[in-house]
Amino acid sequence: MIENTRLTRRRIGLLVIAAVAVLGVVASPYRTDIRNLFTVGFFNTALTLAVPITLAGVGGLYSEKSGVINIGIEGLLIAAAFTSVLVTGTTVSTVGADNAVWLGLLAAVVVSTLGALLFGVICIRYKADQIIAGLAIWFVFLGLAPFFSRVYWGQINSPTVATFDQIAIPVLSEIPWLGTLLFTNYPTTYLMLIIVPVAWYVLKFTSFGMWVRASGEHPEALDTAGISVNRVRYASIMISGALSGIGGAAMTLSTVGQFIGQGQTIVNGRGFIGIVAYLMGNYNPIGTFGAAALFAGLDALQVRLQQIGFDIAPELFGAIPYMAVIVVLVFFGYTRIPDRAGENYESGDD
Amino acid sequence: MSHSVELTDIRKTFPGVVANDDVSLSVGDGDIHVILGENGAGKSTLMNVLYGLYQPDSGTIRINGEEKRFDSPQDAIDEGIGMIHQHFKLVGPMTVTENIVLGSEPTDSFGIGVDMKTARREVREISERYGFDIDPDAVVEDVSVGVRQRVEILKALYRGADILILDEPTAVLTPDEIESLFEVFEELIDQGKTIIFITHKLDEAMTVADDITVLREGRNVTTLPVEEATNNHLAELMVGDEVLLELNREPHPKGDVLLTVDDLQVANDDTTLVEGVDLTVREGETLGIAGVDGNGQSELSDAIAGLLDADGGSVTFDGEDVTDWDRKRLNDAGLAYIPPDRQEQGLVMNFDHGENVILGEQHTFPIGRRMRDDELAEKIIEEYDVRTSGTGAPAKSLSGGNQQKLLVGRELERDPKLVIASNPTRGLDVGSIEFIHEQLLSVRRDDRAVLLISSKLDELQQLSDRIAVMYEGEIIDTVDPETVTERELGLLMAGQELTDVSPNSDRGEGTSQTAGIDGESE
Amino acid sequence: MSDAGPKLPDRAKRILGRLVDASARERILISFASLALALVVGAILLLASGAFATCGSPFLVFGGIEFCYNPIEVYRVMLNGAIGSPYSIGLTLRETTLLILAGVAVAVTFQAGIFNIGTQGQFVVGGLAGAALVQYTADILPANAVGGILLFVLGLAAAGVAGALYGALPGVLLAYYDANEVITTIMLNFIATAVAFTTVRSFLREGAAVQTALVPDYAVPPSIVFPEASSFSVLIFIPTLLIAFGAHYMLKNSPLGYNIRLSGEQPAAAKYSGVDAKRVIVRTFTLSGLIGGLTGGVFVFMVLGYWQPSVPQVGFDGITVSVLAANNPLGVIPAAALFGVIKSGAIALDLQLGVPRQLAGVLRGIIILFVAMPEFMRMIGRKFGLGETSATPAQERVTEENDD
Repeated sequence: MIENTRLTRRRIGLLVIAAVAVLGVVASPYRTDIRNLFTVGFFNTALTLAVPITLAGVGGLYSEKSGVINIGIEGLLIAAAFTSVLVTGTTVSTVGADNAVWLGLLAAVVVSTLGALLFGVICIRYKADQIIAGLAIWFVFLGLAPFFSRVYWGQINSPTVATFDQIAIPVLSEIPWLGTLLFTNYPTTYLMLIIVPVAWYVLKFTSFGMWVRASGEHPEALDTAGISVNRVRYASIMISGALSGIGGAAMTLSTVGQFIGQGQTIVNGRGFIGIVAYLMGNYNPIGTFGAAALFAGLDALQVRLQQIGFDIAPELFGAIPYMAVIVVLVFFGYTRIPDRAGENYESGDD
Repeated sequence: MSHSVELTDIRKTFPGVVANDDVSLSVGDGDIHVILGENGAGKSTLMNVLYGLYQPDSGTIRINGEEKRFDSPQDAIDEGIGMIHQHFKLVGPMTVTENIVLGSEPTDSFGIGVDMKTARREVREISERYGFDIDPDAVVEDVSVGVRQRVEILKALYRGADILILDEPTAVLTPDEIESLFEVFEELIDQGKTIIFITHKLDEAMTVADDITVLREGRNVTTLPVEEATNNHLAELMVGDEVLLELNREPHPKGDVLLTVDDLQVANDDTTLVEGVDLTVREGETLGIAGVDGNGQSELSDAIAGLLDADGGSVTFDGEDVTDWDRKRLNDAGLAYIPPDRQEQGLVMNFDHGENVILGEQHTFPIGRRMRDDELAEKIIEEYDVRTSGTGAPAKSLSGGNQQKLLVGRELERDPKLVIASNPTRGLDVGSIEFIHEQLLSVRRDDRAVLLISSKLDELQQLSDRIAVMYEGEIIDTVDPETVTERELGLLMAGQELTDVSPNSDRGEGTSQTAGIDGESE
Repeated sequence: MSDAGPKLPDRAKRILGRLVDASARERILISFASLALALVVGAILLLASGAFATCGSPFLVFGGIEFCYNPIEVYRVMLNGAIGSPYSIGLTLRETTLLILAGVAVAVTFQAGIFNIGTQGQFVVGGLAGAALVQYTADILPANAVGGILLFVLGLAAAGVAGALYGALPGVLLAYYDANEVITTIMLNFIATAVAFTTVRSFLREGAAVQTALVPDYAVPPSIVFPEASSFSVLIFIPTLLIAFGAHYMLKNSPLGYNIRLSGEQPAAAKYSGVDAKRVIVRTFTLSGLIGGLTGGVFVFMVLGYWQPSVPQVGFDGITVSVLAANNPLGVIPAAALFGVIKSGAIALDLQLGVPRQLAGVLRGIIILFVAMPEFMRMIGRKFGLGETSATPAQERVTEENDD
């Protein structure tokens, strides 16, 4: 059975990942240090790092489920990361740091959603090839962000601006271990923790979720049922934009408070990793979060390894999440993508 | 009598084509109204206009006496019109219930989620009211074609449809399923529904209709009550004064065995698609393969042609075991293949004629030679009557008939020993069909062989020396086209063995499978 | 086959009708229009962003807002900086050389319908291999013209082989493991950068900076015709043109080329005609990687003279060039020249007017954006009464004949 082959492949994949992890731990000469690695702080960092990947992934998942493959998420993250720093930095003197960060977040969501709308118009209204259009969106923001950085700040990396504070939720944060992991976090992390189950519920149990699924599988079925396919697709694409907006802002405002415009910018491929996360999570928002957490864990691990003075080739360690993505794709690449994803839909008559 | 649907002077044009040329018709309340016509007569366009998918250029639609304007299917649905399309509009991975309520979902008390409990109950209720036996929780892609069609009908009923349009609903069904569909019709009429039934099959029209409207070339030829219609009269109205040529398939002596297929198996993961097929084709012979689409014919032809790996059994061609040969090698060995899909497989739409005629032979070109053959293209254009602006025109600029002539010409110009032709005339105009039939007969005349896979029974009967019938991956019988009736073929295609040996079967090549294997004849 | 079955005839007809539009002439029109529109959008961006920049003497003060950048002046400086002197022409041709190679590398895979974003990674790996070869063999070979040629040939060979192997990897992953090539190639780009950095830092470092040894003078291809300072050699440029012509010839005159185009056009027809799709994928990727790697080699020998981890995004530019050229290797030559003008002009811009050279990156994206939507271009065309030029006569014929 196809299902079975897929399942077997998945199991082999998980096994390989588990084996690599175990091997890494056992074979390491730094075994005692390694025990110090996986502290609650490590997991908390991983959770923070998972925010952009998860939100990019969940957004991309909605878009693809509705039939539009959104490779442009990487560009949306870049747009959001840049905007959040720009707006926070420029408004901090008038509204104060506490409000400026929220304005930064809001602006990031608006800009990223507009970017997604642009992508939607290109794909739906002007019938562009979705992959090329996605590349274009990525390249546009990969070009614009460093350009504006230099225009505005005179340098390719921004100065640091105000950031979110971690908020400890009263009482709950007192719970040992879990309190630190889940209830002492940045606002963007809480947003993610709320969005993931909501996204799952909406996709599975609401009318809109059903329309999204139908739109990517058999748009004619939706069209003849009297629901506009293009409207559902626009909505899904804009959801991917809004979520990428929060993700991009989380990358700057919930960490260092700086936009880095060099090379691949501060986003550095997280949008693409988000795509792999939803493939690995089989288009399930919760599965997507799980996969994103795995990649974020690898990222946190390399940061942590450097912190404890494990100084061999930090750049190579930095590449571990990207290698993991390829391994994951090889074993999980065989997901059933929505039947009509990637195809433009034309209603019976124009 | 009151009319539930009245269409007046509907005109719909597409760039360069008049699909509906001032068509008028009225459908009586509670009637089954059949719209009869050949492919391309404008039946589907007319119904898409009625369903709001197309907007007519001119003309009016009246529902129960009131003039209406439908800008989208939703408007039509609101007026109680439901359409069951020829190609189902169902979402495979979703359940029956989800599909039925899609777009009109009941919401739960919070107004956010879909109330699946209510939805399921409602689906079960209508399903029972019309005597459908359907599991509301079954996933659509797991159920049979017949069941899917019922889901489509339920979908329309769920939306409160009083007027049901069914666009060629029988095309994908077996005779048994067709019969039960007609029983469903009766049930629907008893419940006060009106049915518009589109078909190009005369006997179906005669069986179920109250009134019959015949369309030809976008025009309404006539509407008449079924009592006044006869098969012959309807046929005449449908095709006009066009004469169908009786093909001249002279008897031809058979030569040596050219192709032997022995116990061939093809599987896809765990589904068996071809199950122990045995066949022989001799020189100078045409073997027809009949069957309802999707019973393993395309996998069988792909496996013989070297496009699919066999999972068991063997194929011998021209004295050699070719079971493991790939397409390239089989092509070189003289096994040509006219594939079922000319626009996806057989021709490259953006390649010009010169490039298209080397498709399949490209491997034999040395590096440095231009990857085209304009001389060959010229020759094919000439000899196969391809109407084109020249060898440099892309294949997509040709009409379907001319594309197929180019394709057939290319395959036949390679002087193959055996030609596998899979639905070679599907969707073509009468002229092209005749031409291609003539070409296939000439292959046989030249002592070469044809394996013809077709879903058209008349085509099989006109061209084949023997007809093997495939059902669920197996060949369940091999029959003589001279003596077999359409009804018998229909039964076989539905998987029923002809238990009573018909008096015609004692003519040597008979109805038994063994006769087919030996390829014994004349 | 899915139960969706064949499409509605009239729908198919309309889709076909649209395909016919995309004639060669129209493609060229679309490319030029995209470029022009990108420049217009760029001008608007410049004007707007000039309001946010800080400068001594704004060219325009309007409503109290100081506009720093005059778009017309910007484009004039760019053009002048790109082709104003033999030196600047040399710089532009230097960029063009890299862009042609990268563009051809991308075009070969795009022709096969493969979205290969990995030329950047192959460029990095190729350059690294070429530089590493120089570092390890320069001392062994004689320090004269013969040794120089030998070093050059070996260096480029190493670059090509490394690029080809690195290019084959996503090909194998796609062909045999169904791993989406867009994602794998992008990931391999990141990995290439990390590997290159680590390798240079840990093994190849010469001196304090993280960079490899200099290519010895005698192995640097001589600048003839153009000033030496422009680091451009006609001796490299001509073979580069030959590679573009060769790629075109290969596509039209070899079974592999035919199969590449066939696979890109209609995978089902490729399978029907006996093409081994997996093999074509791997070969195409390898070929593309070879050219991508060579691009890195040329960058090391002709442009930079050594290798360092932070390199320009030549591979990404290659995508723009290829898309602009409708993935035609011959079209890549003018497309690369035009984009080369933008790139070298942007450098002059930065130096003379202080407008960020990242403008080139912005234009790179906007150009693809416009090329990606031919429908939009047609709409613009119709608005300006160019409808007749874009519709081919064949179109009318098709819609009429296709009605059986």
